[in-house]
Amino acid sequence: MAQNRNHSDIDYVRPVRRIFVGGLVLFCLAIFLIWRIDSPRVERFRANLVDTVVPSFEWASVPLAHFAGMLEDFQSYQRIYQQNQDLRRELQQMKAWKEAAVQLEQQNAKLLALNSVRLDPKLTSVSGVVVADSGSPFRQSVLLNVGEHDGVKDGWATMDGLGLVGRIAGVGKTTSRVLLLTDAASRMPVTILPSGQRAILAGDNTAAPALDFIEDLDAIKPGDRVVSSGDGGVFPSGMLVGQLALGPDGRFRVWLAADYERLEFLRVLRSHKGEVITDPGGLVVPPQPTPEPVPDETAEASEAPEPGND
Amino acid sequence: MIDPITARTWGYRLLFSALILLLAFFQMLPLGGQAGGLPGADLTVALTFAWVLRRPSYVPVPLLAVLFLFLDLLLQRPPGLGAALMIGATEMLRSRRDMSRAMPFPFEWALVSAVMAGMVALEQIALGIVVVDRPPLGLALLRSLFTAAAYPFVVVLSHYGFGVRAAAPNEADALGRRL
Repeated sequence: MAQNRNHSDIDYVRPVRRIFVGGLVLFCLAIFLIWRIDSPRVERFRANLVDTVVPSFEWASVPLAHFAGMLEDFQSYQRIYQQNQDLRRELQQMKAWKEAAVQLEQQNAKLLALNSVRLDPKLTSVSGVVVADSGSPFRQSVLLNVGEHDGVKDGWATMDGLGLVGRIAGVGKTTSRVLLLTDAASRMPVTILPSGQRAILAGDNTAAPALDFIEDLDAIKPGDRVVSSGDGGVFPSGMLVGQLALGPDGRFRVWLAADYERLEFLRVLRSHKGEVITDPGGLVVPPQPTPEPVPDETAEASEAPEPGND
Repeated sequence: MIDPITARTWGYRLLFSALILLLAFFQMLPLGGQAGGLPGADLTVALTFAWVLRRPSYVPVPLLAVLFLFLDLLLQRPPGLGAALMIGATEMLRSRRDMSRAMPFPFEWALVSAVMAGMVALEQIALGIVVVDRPPLGLALLRSLFTAAAYPFVVVLSHYGFGVRAAAPNEADALGRRL
């Protein structure tokens, strides 16, 4: 009897279960396909989900990350003597640089005063704390605790104290995701100084992203400064990105100036839409007289000679 | 009144969800995982496989689907693909369980490693078909290799730490069926 019931049980349960599991797999694959076809909508859904989930554990993640940072610092005490020596030497060099910088600043101030240049008003910023990583070794992004609520918009540039870090890709109400320059999906137009060569900085999931489309390889050398060029209007121009280096594979790569090992506070630079020129003639040709005043002028012109005649 | 066997099963289901979410939380900590470093082991996969091979009733398919879909969305992976692969892999392991219950641990380990490698291959193929940027094959394989290396530790921890052991031949579930 019991044996019988067991058998009938299995006969019903197995096919139903198989259909159920198959349906679940199909459902998941459908979500995957929808994501592929209509990525922005799903990504917005993802941003909203992250936005609701992540702030609820911000209280835990930020102190834990700090604690881990403290442990790392503690380990570095072992090399404290050597570090001290290094720091002294660096300080000496820095003093020399400081002198140079002070002189340049004075010079710059004088020149600006002469020119009465108005500095770019675009560069105001919002600061945020890094609350989470991407969580995947193949995606390089971090999550900031500022979002739509603070006026952050997609595409804005993000930097730490020194150099560019990445751009905003995905904004939730109170969080936003920063796509780092090292991510495989990141492309950014840069200028190599002092030669002024233009190139594209293409992230490839390594610590030092590679440079593509360099015009003249002879004009640049390792150690050159790399700054954003501002082409394409996404990043403001002239922000420090890093230093040129020649990779072991013979490609030119960039050592990023931002401290990627410890991203804690990031600044999101507000950038406003560049002015778009819609009417080509309006710029080139001086303003044309409108037809209306013409009769008045002629009337005046015809009246004017009359007293002269009299 | 809930009978103790059902209560225990649901308790373990809750524990499983909590462990997976905790692992995801630790993966998301902003510790500055440097780009280009070695990818760590994916402990969520190892934990799931270990539990499926020991107590499939603790990790039912709907729970896995919901959890891994959530992880896909949270961890910036292609949504749905990871969950689908995970369901497929665990279903395969579930059906092999009668076989693997009798087999010694090294064989189970090899089986699990092979399934992980298969998941990487299928993921690469799926991402290739829909032309999405896929993680470098070498790194992805290395990650599953690390996961396979971590598998015995996960098994030991679930066995002694959480008490998830293979059912004894005379154990039965709440409805009296053999496990």
